[in-house]
Amino acid sequence: MPAIRALPLATLLLAASLTPAAAQQYPAKPIRLIIPSAPGGSNDVVGRPIATFLGERLGRQIIVDNRAGAGTMIGTELASKAPNDGYTLLVVSIAFAVNPWLYDLRGRYDPIKSFTPVAMLAAGPNVLAVNPSLPVNNVKELIALAKEKPGKIGWASAGVGSFQHLGGSLFELQAGVKFLGVRFKGGGPAMIDVVAGHNQVAFSSLVQTTGQIQSGKLKALGVGSKKRVPILPDVPTIDEAGVPGYEASNWWGIVAPAGVPQAAVDRIRKELAVVLTAQPVIDQFANEGAEVVQMSQGEFADFIAAELKKWQQVVKDSGMKAE
Amino acid sequence: MDLFNNLIFGFGVALSLQNLFYCFVGVLVGTLIGVLPGIGPLGTIAILLPITYSVSPVAAMIMLAGIYYGAQYGGSTTAILVNLPGETSSVVTCIDGYQMAQQGRAGPALAIAAIGSFFAGTVGTLLIALFGPPLADVALKFGAPEYFSLMLMGLVAAAVLAQGDMVKSIAMVVLGLLLGIIGTDVNSGVQRFSFGIFELTDGIGFIVVAVGVFAVGEIVNNLGERQERRVLSAKVSNLFPTWQDLKASAGPIVRGTGLGCFFGVLPGTGPAIASFSSYMLEKKLAKDPDRFGKGAIEGVAGPEAANNADAQCKFIPMLTLGLPASGVMALMLGALTIQGIQPGPQVMTQRPELFWGLIASMWIGNAMLVVLNLPLIGLWVRLLQVPYRLLFPAIMAFSAIGIFSVNNSAFEIHLTALFGVLGFMWMRLGFPLAPMLLGFVLGPMMEEYLRRAMLMSGGDPSVFVTRPISLAFIIATVLILVVMVAPSVRKRREAFTD
Repeated sequence: MPAIRALPLATLLLAASLTPAAAQQYPAKPIRLIIPSAPGGSNDVVGRPIATFLGERLGRQIIVDNRAGAGTMIGTELASKAPNDGYTLLVVSIAFAVNPWLYDLRGRYDPIKSFTPVAMLAAGPNVLAVNPSLPVNNVKELIALAKEKPGKIGWASAGVGSFQHLGGSLFELQAGVKFLGVRFKGGGPAMIDVVAGHNQVAFSSLVQTTGQIQSGKLKALGVGSKKRVPILPDVPTIDEAGVPGYEASNWWGIVAPAGVPQAAVDRIRKELAVVLTAQPVIDQFANEGAEVVQMSQGEFADFIAAELKKWQQVVKDSGMKAE
Repeated sequence: MDLFNNLIFGFGVALSLQNLFYCFVGVLVGTLIGVLPGIGPLGTIAILLPITYSVSPVAAMIMLAGIYYGAQYGGSTTAILVNLPGETSSVVTCIDGYQMAQQGRAGPALAIAAIGSFFAGTVGTLLIALFGPPLADVALKFGAPEYFSLMLMGLVAAAVLAQGDMVKSIAMVVLGLLLGIIGTDVNSGVQRFSFGIFELTDGIGFIVVAVGVFAVGEIVNNLGERQERRVLSAKVSNLFPTWQDLKASAGPIVRGTGLGCFFGVLPGTGPAIASFSSYMLEKKLAKDPDRFGKGAIEGVAGPEAANNADAQCKFIPMLTLGLPASGVMALMLGALTIQGIQPGPQVMTQRPELFWGLIASMWIGNAMLVVLNLPLIGLWVRLLQVPYRLLFPAIMAFSAIGIFSVNNSAFEIHLTALFGVLGFMWMRLGFPLAPMLLGFVLGPMMEEYLRRAMLMSGGDPSVFVTRPISLAFIIATVLILVVMVAPSVRKRREAFTD
């Protein structure tokens, strides 16, 4: 990826040599933050507090522009075609790394070439939870049962390509099992079915499951992060519990149309570093089961590239792409 | 008496000055957004969520809940006045409410909608307080087969909706079903009828279709007539319902409340089903069903009560189990998380002030809504005296703003315009609109539940008759068919004996 890495550098030089005054003044006008989901969607829950607090730090209003539809692709395409002057930003999530492999995006946008990564914001793992009536107490027992009854244990998830669906598909591939995949129009209805016992297994976000786990309506077998999470200290990671290498986290970050002035990126990053330590932001992220993650710009670029690669493989191996 | 103590405790919480204030703000905002089509409680709550951060959890929940059920009240106002459904659940109100307004009876229609909603809200609140947890457990017994059988019963009963030409009604139901399946298939992720257009991959929004065929279609139809329509300025009879109106509405309100509570408890039913069912039931029970669609007050009273009871009871799974039945409920659970309260069944016992305070506030909020809405009726009715050439551009503008605000999408405005033209054509050709909307609502849900049930049973259709709740609905469906077919058979026999 040397060419991509060089791009921000080139723009940095360009910005520094041609318009030093303008760059120093950034932001000179309100900034548009495109959130490619509806108000209340996960990208919105994470993006909205960022708009508020980052706007305060930058001294300019950040206007939230919700452009929902087509699993974030409508808003993402819109952002890819916006001017790359630093006044249009986009909130991206795991869907950004999955959609290119599920849908034909030719002529619309390219996740690498059309955007410059700006900053990572947060990440939140999934939780493998089962209805207590399922006679398993840990990940290994679940795998054993699933191997005994292939395609019989009901796994409820939101639609194809959703975070719930991806986490489960990854588990199927890495553990070498097959569930009975039952899909719902949203994560909420899927959880209701698992709590009610119509289906038995869910790979859902922390926020959707924690209350049910604490009250005993669901049994948590593992979390999809590298380390255990503070809110569920007794729950092992899926990695340590029997599926080495398993990791499924939803994540959120900010990107800008490719070729955005590096001075603007730097200014945003500088203020974001402060915003991401503010308690209200941390609390509102918790609403989506997300914890703040700070990365350097280069790390974030590498992270996106790695996620793209990871989910390309999962989409291919699980055959989830609709033909 | 535990309940009594709990309710007193709840009212103690809800009647504090701060909580009363947030309750009022909530229902006021709710009423306002309810009037606008498109922008609904979901978007509003998402945008207002940060405000709740600085207030107590109880006040936050009280305000957000107020927005939600307040919107159900507001939605019916424009439905009755100008045939513009402000919320999904008020589509049914358009059918007879608007006809009443046409006949100069907008006042009684608005008043009966408010009264019916208040009654339903009161019953719904009591139901949550008395039976919340056991009802939630019953609701969880409903899996895919139960929901499918329930909806099958609904669709069969909907044949009652058929008015006039049976073939045209069936054609419209099927058309509704077809429109409903546009978008991404949940099971496979396959795109259906989206023609590579991104905006169609999530399907067509219900509010787009409803505003298009009702509000826009009606405007095109009105403008097609030569003379400028006098909007009933001359013959506004009375603002409030007569004794006779109240008597005619009492039964529908009670039955609508019952239906609304039933559907409200079940998280897997959408917002329009309760009001549709109530409308169908009233039409079936009426001595002269021909009045329906021509300004029958029962057709406003029942569905309005039903949709408010439904909205109220949708809180049961959320409050007692911490499970979100809809996007709005998920956001409210999110608001709790922000406050550091982990949503779940334990909230009821660990934070009783939250549970009982919220319940008490719902009743107070409903009372506020009546007080807020009844005096406004005079104002609303006077709005109808605005000349149509000024009124219709305003309706168009509000429709467009509302539709745009859902997804900030110009595409959906174009789609609304398209449905406006189609709605006008259907109206002119005598194709009924209600069956189409019913097919549009029920079709995709039935498909989803049927396929899910078959998937989970391994392709064995006996699952619908071996599960007791499902079997009960199937039997009821057969009974409805018999009851409906019997009269026509008898008539034919009579014809033979003649």
